[in-house]
Amino acid sequence: MSEENFQEHEIRDRIVIQYKYTMGGQSKFFIELMNNKKILGTKCKKCGKIWMPPRINCSECFEDTDWVEMPHTGTIKVSTIVWYTTSAFIQSVPYGIAFIQLDKADTGMLQGIFSENLVPSKVKKGQRVKAVFKKKEDREGKMTDFFFVPEDEYDAWIAKPQYEGGS
Amino acid sequence: MAIIGVGITPFRARYLDKTYFELAYDATKLALGDANKNGAEITHNDLESTVYGIYNELFERQFMPDIFTNSYLGMNNKPGTRIASGGATGGYTVRMAYSEVASGLSDLCLCIGLEKCNDCYDEQTGTTTPEVLNAIAYSADMTYEYPMGMMAASSYVSMVNAHYDEFGNPTEEQMAYVSIKNHGNAKLNPKAQSPMDVTVEDVIYSRIICYPFKMLDCCLYSEASAALILASEQKVKELGIEKPIWITGVAAANTDCFIGNRESVGRLYSNIYAAKAAYKMAGLDYNKIKEQIDVAELHDAFSGQEVISYEELGFVPFGEGGPWIEKSFEKPGEGPWIDGELPCCPSGGLIGCGHAVGATGIMSTGEAALQLRQEAGKHQVKTIEKGRAIAHSIGGPGAAYAAVIVMANEEGLKKP
Repeated sequence: MSEENFQEHEIRDRIVIQYKYTMGGQSKFFIELMNNKKILGTKCKKCGKIWMPPRINCSECFEDTDWVEMPHTGTIKVSTIVWYTTSAFIQSVPYGIAFIQLDKADTGMLQGIFSENLVPSKVKKGQRVKAVFKKKEDREGKMTDFFFVPEDEYDAWIAKPQYEGGS
Repeated sequence: MAIIGVGITPFRARYLDKTYFELAYDATKLALGDANKNGAEITHNDLESTVYGIYNELFERQFMPDIFTNSYLGMNNKPGTRIASGGATGGYTVRMAYSEVASGLSDLCLCIGLEKCNDCYDEQTGTTTPEVLNAIAYSADMTYEYPMGMMAASSYVSMVNAHYDEFGNPTEEQMAYVSIKNHGNAKLNPKAQSPMDVTVEDVIYSRIICYPFKMLDCCLYSEASAALILASEQKVKELGIEKPIWITGVAAANTDCFIGNRESVGRLYSNIYAAKAAYKMAGLDYNKIKEQIDVAELHDAFSGQEVISYEELGFVPFGEGGPWIEKSFEKPGEGPWIDGELPCCPSGGLIGCGHAVGATGIMSTGEAALQLRQEAGKHQVKTIEKGRAIAHSIGGPGAAYAAVIVMANEEGLKKP
């Protein structure tokens, strides 16, 4: 059917679902992050691969892993700076994100890169970075409890009242 | 088995006069009409099953949108199965429809993709796109990646940036040539959403999305439906189809969706595995594929990702994708241009047509089939001599999904 003088009818609607989501076997990672500013990876009991983000099972060997404490330093494998984004983050642009390989880890994890100088020459492959944490009262046991900054900016970031360094 | 009918609705920013199931009806009717023009005499009642490609429930504001489409298409009391594989949904849907017919479960199968994203609306900016992007971003890992502000462009740009770190390309200029090509090809395709003349400068100075992708490097989200009618060999003969397009290879591969787990970040491994398997099934050679096909409809969600795909699909050696498009600009007979040695995205691809996610890979497959029938319209490539084409789909977090479809016309089947 094609209608002459078609007039559309739009309605406002939304889908909202609330959760109490369990982190399952990964729970310890988030508890230690929140309570003790520790970054835990896991090491395969068989092949020794260190997973970061952690997995309680090694997807390559099909064996269990052990928790291991990771250093708070690492290197950017690849990164970008975001200038236009989703409705949930559009108020935060520009922001840097990067896949970071923590020292000792065999895999890279995605994390936010904060910098006083958010430019591609600063947020790039090979840049050494260090973890900065929110204050204890602001930590919720989520990935947003911490972020990374270029190593040479670390002291400036942990001097800010809302942030602190790791142990 | 063969594609006997192709139906593609126009790709538009928004259909105010159609719901998703009404769009699906239009595409199905077009595909039936095309099959009948191609020698068949069939109606929707002759279709034995349906495979639905619908990516995102949040776009459609309806979980299980396939069953409501099934009702609207008059396909009650027959099997209908939904596929959802991110941006690669279309390609995976073709693969599943192929399985439906190859297994003998159906002799005549409707393979349909649909998507209507732009009913999403962001009240804070008063625009659609940020909310569309948010609906997509829920496809990122919700625990580790969504909370960091990951989205489609920042995911794909990671691979492109890592590829640049490794090979020194694609440069911003080389990526811009993809935008010039696909927006330009779209001018020949009346169903495309973004026909445009653009220059390298226009692309490079367009609004930055995430470094180094600019707005004109990115496809626009679109609304559309695309349908194929697949028939078994016996059915093709029975119906007396004049120009069947035979599917000779189908393959897909899901690589690790966590980019940080990959051996090399600058690779879309899904492309490599899917392409090698599809070519092998079709009896073609990964290292000579550029000489063995006439045309390729690629999944160019982002310009830089099309450039890397040239390499991973075997058209040029690794690290030579950027120079391949840049150096062939305005040189007929060379490169991926519409008059080049291997035209890529003569339809305009996603950058030119728009990306109606579930419909996109089915549109690409249908477009490649129409090229082999020499019925593509104004964007028909000049030479169809090998009689073979490919369609490519990629999608998901970190472009983890890829599917490649190889097809041939009657002549292409006979050629070595």
